Amino acid sequence: MKAKLAAVALLLATAACGADEPGAADDGATLTLWTRAATEAVSKAYADAYNASHRNKVEVTAYPNEEYPAKLASAAGARSLPDLFAADVVFAPQYASQGLWADVTDQFQSLPFKDSVAPSHVRAGTWEGRTHAVPHTIDLSVMLYNKDLYAKAGLDPEKPPRTLAEFAEHARKIDQLGGDVHGTYFGGNCGGCVEFTFWPSVWAAGGEVLDAEGRTALVDSPEMAEVFAVYRDLYDQGVASPASKAEAGPTWLGALQSGKVGIAPAPSVWLDAIEAKGVKTGLAPIPGLTGGESTFVGGDAIGIGATSGKAQQAWDFLAWTMSDEAQVEVIAQRKGVPVRTDLAANRHSSADPRLVTANGLVAKGKTPYARNFNATFNDPQGPWLTTVRGALFGNAGQALATGNEAITKSLRQG
Amino acid sequence: MRTSYYVTGSALAILFLFPLVWSGWASVRTDTGFGLENYARLFTSSNGIRAVHVLNSVVVSALTVTGTLVVATFAGYAFGRFRFLGRDLLFLLTLAILMVPYATILIALYVLLSWLGLEDSLVGLSLVLIVFQLPFSVFMMRNSFEAVPVELEESARVDGCSSVGTLVRIMLPAVRPGLVTVGLFAFLTSWSEFFAPLILLNSTDEFTAVLAVVNMRTASHGSIDYAALEAGVVFMALPCLVLFAFMQRSYVRGFTSGALKG
Amino acid sequence: MTGALYATPAAVLVGLFFVVPLLLVVWMSLHRWPLLGNPRLNAPDNYTAVVDNALVASAAWFTLRYTVLITALLFVIAFGLALLVQNRRPGVGFFRTAFFLPMTVGFASASLLFLGLLSEEIGPLPAGGDSPALGSAVLLVLWRFAGFNMLILLTGLQAIPLDVYEAARIDGASRWQVFGRITVPLMRPTIALVLTMMITGSLLAFDQFWILTRGGPDNSTTSLVMVIYREAFVRLDLGSAAGISVVLLVLLAVVSSVQFAVLRRRSA
Repeated sequence: MKAKLAAVALLLATAACGADEPGAADDGATLTLWTRAATEAVSKAYADAYNASHRNKVEVTAYPNEEYPAKLASAAGARSLPDLFAADVVFAPQYASQGLWADVTDQFQSLPFKDSVAPSHVRAGTWEGRTHAVPHTIDLSVMLYNKDLYAKAGLDPEKPPRTLAEFAEHARKIDQLGGDVHGTYFGGNCGGCVEFTFWPSVWAAGGEVLDAEGRTALVDSPEMAEVFAVYRDLYDQGVASPASKAEAGPTWLGALQSGKVGIAPAPSVWLDAIEAKGVKTGLAPIPGLTGGESTFVGGDAIGIGATSGKAQQAWDFLAWTMSDEAQVEVIAQRKGVPVRTDLAANRHSSADPRLVTANGLVAKGKTPYARNFNATFNDPQGPWLTTVRGALFGNAGQALATGNEAITKSLRQG
Repeated sequence: MRTSYYVTGSALAILFLFPLVWSGWASVRTDTGFGLENYARLFTSSNGIRAVHVLNSVVVSALTVTGTLVVATFAGYAFGRFRFLGRDLLFLLTLAILMVPYATILIALYVLLSWLGLEDSLVGLSLVLIVFQLPFSVFMMRNSFEAVPVELEESARVDGCSSVGTLVRIMLPAVRPGLVTVGLFAFLTSWSEFFAPLILLNSTDEFTAVLAVVNMRTASHGSIDYAALEAGVVFMALPCLVLFAFMQRSYVRGFTSGALKG
Repeated sequence: MTGALYATPAAVLVGLFFVVPLLLVVWMSLHRWPLLGNPRLNAPDNYTAVVDNALVASAAWFTLRYTVLITALLFVIAFGLALLVQNRRPGVGFFRTAFFLPMTVGFASASLLFLGLLSEEIGPLPAGGDSPALGSAVLLVLWRFAGFNMLILLTGLQAIPLDVYEAARIDGASRWQVFGRITVPLMRPTIALVLTMMITGSLLAFDQFWILTRGGPDNSTTSLVMVIYREAFVRLDLGSAAGISVVLLVLLAVVSSVQFAVLRRRSA
């Protein structure tokens, strides 16, 4: 019933402002939607629910994660982008600046709930004051800890660390259990993993990693150095699993699913996947050095392909995905983080306090903004990974100083 | 002498066969023992292989093999038996295809295919795959035709055959080993090619099986379903291995009949 | 004229799907080329940028070392295999098949196979630690291509008339002398072909690093084509990617023509 009402309301709304447009927004058009394999399940859940209640049909195509940017670039080059495409939210400023997504500023401004749509995601999809993309899925970085190992090590499973120093202390205690148990784990050969899990500690301490325009690096700050020092010590002392050094991402989840890791910063969406392996897991915000908490608001943003001829119908889908109905019945129902801050507490999340904790972080966290983000930070050939490797396993002081310069240069590259 | 030949040969054979045998073994090993669960996951998971993907792979391979054989036979005959304007230039250009980094011209190819109305189509993909087969195939067929004694052809001419008739009735049987080698090579490449279909195909329904297998690798960020991946590797490799086993004799003869003399 | 007619299908395909894209790449290398929107002439910026790009320098150095390593190893192994299986004797068919079989597995499949083989999770040869990235890529290439090159070298070996060997034996030449004075010189064209393919293939190496190592750790396995890929698909700078491609292309053309010129003169 609620679904029908929402649909009717939307129909009325679009009919009212688009009366002289050729064809209504929900006129039975077929819309193509591209996404990366990692997000496929969510995109398909949105599409299925939308298709069931609308005349438009959304068809989802997923591509391998690593090759997806290449796919998008070649499609754009041939001017044959799909009607809708999602992308890692940190890539959004680059795609928006290249004009790959259509301008949806006016439509977005007319949404009644526009102010509660994950602000850092909306900012990421904005280029020169115009909105090009809206949040599609949200993935937060949090501390995940193994409750059984906590109990075994004499720690209280209901008291996760509130400072980064406490985190290190807990990890050390658990590491002393010996055997193949390790205190913590991180992706030491993966720029994306490190930024996702380490930066919140910098932010929680009041530090910054980038300036607001994403043109100057601030990774040589004392906060960043101290955060690196904490993880570096944990690795040197063997508290962090030795596999952390070579971890480039692919086996990160597997390590946590093994039940042999005490506490580690990781994506919140892994909670289910880890518990499915029988590992009782607690969830806590990532703390700063001496307190505070923050998160990296990751996930995917989505926009309308600039070469699409069905912008109106595509927006109908986008507006619907952000509606109460879609966020509660599609996203929260499958234990996802709603893209709207006003829906953090909903009838699905109230069953699990850990989800309320995670959802509440969206408003506190950040999504870093830079046009050259991918080339600088996520790409294995970018300067960030070199900096990370130096700061964790090499000459830390020098790595951060020279790295800062290289990162700034890369951020400003034309 | 004799024993050392057998010992060395067997040791090397084991080394070369080990990865293949291992992947077969790993693909049927499960948590509880042995079984086909990994294959079940490969075919039933939401982004696994579907029947239509296999069909697409078959269509692409068939088009590529046929196209390569036709084009390379004509071109090989032309290069091996005739002199014409631009002959050396065309031959050189064909060989130069080997020297182009694939990643570079894919965007240009994508643009071209959409001009021709062949974007997101198996025919367009096959055309591109045929072009990348040409350096090897044309070279091979040219040498095969050159190796056929001129007298054989002249006797056919005397008997009143046209040049097409000569090609079909006299020359083709003579270059059959070369054809098998070229055809099989085209099949092996097109069946398992990954990058071109990734870039040139847009919709799930047009995907080839390789894309589905690689998709399995990255399905969930942070973990790889290695067992299902190896099942995918075996599934992709099996038709190649079987086909090779059947055609091995002609394939090797294609090489050894002097076809690959520089 | 008939010849030109027979060559037409090939000429059309090569022209349409190779020459036209190639010209487009050259044209792109002279422009700042956004994905959407209008290109702007900026020559020779994309070429001067190649020199300034630190990644290009390190990738070129790595690609060069990799090419020497692979060419040397692959050539020695493939030649060794060819010598092992050149004579008809029992079991030789099985050995030839065993060595060639890896070639039938596609490169992407083979890379995925090795990804599992070298994984900590299920692999019998876990490649943990720091240095094995290059090792695993080399292993993969040797495994997959040794048999193919063996087959080509075998055709060269078998094309040497047996009476030449007979004559040498009667003259009392040792096995090494026969190999150095007869086998190698007579196989020069085949060797040239094999070496050219190995060198070209290695200079353009991409897939094995893309799937197995991602260029890491610490950019230690970043090849030139990976840099082109990064410029085009990560930085979305098609002009710069085209610039590097053209430089690489010219380099390859020079290397190949020098090689052929040298070998043709000697064999003539």
